[in-house]
Amino acid sequence: MEDLPSLKESFLRESSSVRALHDIQALRVKYLGKRGIVTEKLKALPTVDPAQRPAYGRAVNEIKQYIEAEIARIEAHLREEEYRKSLLSEALDVTLPGKYTPPGREHPIQHVLSEITDIFSSMGFEVGEGPEVELDYYNFEALNIPKNHPARDMQDTFYISDDVVLRTHTSPVQIRVMEMRPPPLKVIAPGKVYRCDADVSHTPMFHQVEGFMVDTDIAFSDLKGVLELFIHTMFSERTPVRFRPSFFPFTEPSAEVDIGCIFCSGNGCRVCKQSGWLEILGAGMIHPKVFEYVGYDPETFSGFAFGMGVERLTMLKYGIDDIRLFFENDLRFLRQF
Amino acid sequence: MRVPFTWLKEFVEIGVSPGEVADRLTMAGFEVEGVDSVEGEAIFDVSVTPNRPDCLSVLGIAREVAAITQMPLVVPPCRISGSLPDAGFSVDILDPDLCNRYAGRVISGVTVGTSPEWMKKRLEQCGIRSINNVVDVTNYVLLEMGHPLHAFDADRLAGKKVRVGTPATVRGRNEPIAVRTLDGVERSVPPDALLIWDAEKPIAVAGVMGGQESEVTSGTRTVFLESAYFESSSIRRTSRGLGLISESSYRFERGTDIEFLERALDRAAGLIAELAGGTVHDIVDAYPVRYVSHRVVVRPERLNRILGTDLSRDEMADILRRLQIPAEGDGDEIVVLPPPNRRDLKQMWDIAEEVARIYGYEKISTTIPRSPLSSGRSGKGARIIQQIRESLRRAGFSAAINYSFMNSTSLDALGIPPTDRRRRTIAISNPLSQDEGLLRTTVVPALIANLRLNLDRGMREVRLFEVARVFIDAGKTLPDEEWRLGGIWYKEKAPSLWREDAEGFYLVKGAIEMLFEELNVRGYDFRPCSETFLHAGRSADVVVSGSCVGYIGVLAPRVVAGLEIKKHRPEIVLFEIDLDRFLPAVPDSMRFSPLPKFPSVERDIAVIVDEQIPSSRIREIIASFPTHLIETVTLFDCFRGGSIPPGKKSLAFNIVYRSMERTLTEGEVEDLHERLVEHVLELTSGEIRR
Ligand SMILES: [Zn+2]
Repeated sequence: MEDLPSLKESFLRESSSVRALHDIQALRVKYLGKRGIVTEKLKALPTVDPAQRPAYGRAVNEIKQYIEAEIARIEAHLREEEYRKSLLSEALDVTLPGKYTPPGREHPIQHVLSEITDIFSSMGFEVGEGPEVELDYYNFEALNIPKNHPARDMQDTFYISDDVVLRTHTSPVQIRVMEMRPPPLKVIAPGKVYRCDADVSHTPMFHQVEGFMVDTDIAFSDLKGVLELFIHTMFSERTPVRFRPSFFPFTEPSAEVDIGCIFCSGNGCRVCKQSGWLEILGAGMIHPKVFEYVGYDPETFSGFAFGMGVERLTMLKYGIDDIRLFFENDLRFLRQF
Repeated sequence: MRVPFTWLKEFVEIGVSPGEVADRLTMAGFEVEGVDSVEGEAIFDVSVTPNRPDCLSVLGIAREVAAITQMPLVVPPCRISGSLPDAGFSVDILDPDLCNRYAGRVISGVTVGTSPEWMKKRLEQCGIRSINNVVDVTNYVLLEMGHPLHAFDADRLAGKKVRVGTPATVRGRNEPIAVRTLDGVERSVPPDALLIWDAEKPIAVAGVMGGQESEVTSGTRTVFLESAYFESSSIRRTSRGLGLISESSYRFERGTDIEFLERALDRAAGLIAELAGGTVHDIVDAYPVRYVSHRVVVRPERLNRILGTDLSRDEMADILRRLQIPAEGDGDEIVVLPPPNRRDLKQMWDIAEEVARIYGYEKISTTIPRSPLSSGRSGKGARIIQQIRESLRRAGFSAAINYSFMNSTSLDALGIPPTDRRRRTIAISNPLSQDEGLLRTTVVPALIANLRLNLDRGMREVRLFEVARVFIDAGKTLPDEEWRLGGIWYKEKAPSLWREDAEGFYLVKGAIEMLFEELNVRGYDFRPCSETFLHAGRSADVVVSGSCVGYIGVLAPRVVAGLEIKKHRPEIVLFEIDLDRFLPAVPDSMRFSPLPKFPSVERDIAVIVDEQIPSSRIREIIASFPTHLIETVTLFDCFRGGSIPPGKKSLAFNIVYRSMERTLTEGEVEDLHERLVEHVLELTSGEIRR
């Protein structure tokens, strides 16, 4: 019985140096195999003194169980190690970039057009359309801008013929929609417009959004309400808005709408020409002459109309300082949006 | 218009700072675009809208300031003391429709010389060059009172006669006439333009510019001073026709004050006598067409409803009177008599604007209109175009926006034949340049230009798309405007981290197919196409529901060569889709199909066929095989070389068999597949690849 502790000791010594699965196998054979040390001890049990036999048998069995458990533990540990090693041998450099087609970008003008359209859609405005090559009648006459009227100087027009022009604003959509349908109407008309003008701050083509609403009893205060709501959604709840009198042949009263300069918070800077205000919209009550052209009774109906330049809003929104960038389609520009 | 603050103060008492006045003018509709300080004096730059010619003067602005600040307007009287008889000049208006009134005074014994410093300074502040004391007075009064005047050398007027009429009226001949104007240019004046004549010849283009012959010079002793009312559209027509815009024509074409012109005449005559000496003769005044004020009746209740205000009748009338517009309350109405300087006031709405702007737009409340429910939902077309944009962006294409212009050279560069629809262009009669003389009929030239610009700026990959209208002359008054989707693709063949071995053509085709899939468009097809500017072997018509809606293809090497792109044989892929034809093929709604309940069986077929047979042909053959049990056919391999003989290729398809009613047996699929393979081999003269 005195040899048992040294048996355990020698097992511990040998098992602690096991590094691989085949070593553990050898260890198992050495101790627990058919001729293993422990097996031999058990085989030799009948030769032990009967008085000591039960205690000796228990002690050998304890050692056997201990060695079995220890070998199983070491083996599980080694298998886990081996599995990990095999995975690491398949390792990728996870810092390499993934493969994808870089997504394309929306044009900033389109971004802002969509934003404007969404805001007015949520207020119940529907989207109307008209041609970009337009009759002089719709672009001017029916909007109360007769031939030989100084108001025509306000817009440099591209002519196709005496009676056909590239629309100088989206306002003719008003006439086309009103000719087709009776009030009530709530319509916006986004689109391209053209002016015969090209310099640092003008491009011969740009985008406008026209909007109008006609019903019985639409008041100038409603125009103020709708546009203020729009501006507060488009910019911020705290953006100051002011309406000041102006002139458009197809609205009366007419207004120019300014917002507090978003660059200097109204303190005056280069962008707002030190005024603290930025002009972003033209608006007014639809002129009764316009109603007469489309056959609405100006005594029964009233309405407002407004128009805004999308390039200007986009430049303000993103801090773009050159309008010509919009139409160069330089990807270094487009990819920023 | 430039307005010196001190000059303004001659007509209205101002107790506030120039900055404050500028703000209030802006908020009343006269935007002060800037306040210059010249030698310590504030000069406003006021923007006057075309409907307010009455404010194209210091006095006009003063009238507004008086109304806004509720201070009295003071216009000093200009009496001519001890005037002589009319000096024997006569005025004869031959076209009273075009000239409602013509007044004049003769000032004799003047000495033309330089103006005093105070006058020179004011003219300079307003941007006008001093000429001599007589001419300067006419300009001074123009700036001060807004009425254009003209001074003639009276000794040069033949027969002491002044006649007003068009060449057609005066000469009875419908022919233009030559007039040498003050600027020394001899101009051919059309027969319907209004001129001023003496007994013999034209001496001025009425309201636009005087003639050189009767110009006031240092030798002038007698001046004939004109103050007239010319019909605005006639002046505008003449001024545009001659390409001649002057301070006078600018005001006449907007409208002048037919009553006040006498005051302006007197003021100027008095100033000339003061500065150049001489004696003022009595007025000669022909006034055949009198001003009649057309009264406007306003119902305050209606006006309040239009403005959303709650102003009383008297408050409204008071605002109008502050603007010197005669207005009287009468029961529940206000009767307004627009004065001759306010011909823009024609109806209630015009009065509404006057009331609103002086009351203050900022004081009008903000309300949300009560209005009928409407969804504001955009139409089908707009929604699909939105989806198209998103799909193309996912495929890596960025959105471009190009001008709608092009020139015919860019169509030539593409080799577009003369009979092609894209040659039916619309020309702009006043283009900015000949390069932008036509409206585009295709988006391709612009996209190619975008590609070049990006390559020039060092980009190695370009993917752009554009959705825009093109314009086709259909022989009607207005062109057909058609929506186009176009795209361009280029990628430099350079080493990259991850290999991409598909041809550019297939990458772009994939983007189009993904777009169709996303829109649930079925039944599309790519067929060889004949666009002249595309690579004949690498281009396809895009056919949807049996009709060709566009094309996709590699830009032909010959076209590329002409573009001077500094790349070696660049592979540029283009596509263009006619959205007006394509959109109707996009289904409005989807219907659910029940999921299969029975298992499928898969079989592959690999055939070696002639290179010329397109894969779609084999697909068609399989699709036309008489069975309902084929669920899908997928091409999974296309192989050339190796054991495949030259001129041949191997195509391998995976076929999924399935019945919706029962489980297919191995035996029946085996039999069906065997017959299908036979069928394919027979129709393609191909052989099976083992
Ligand atoms: Zn600012």
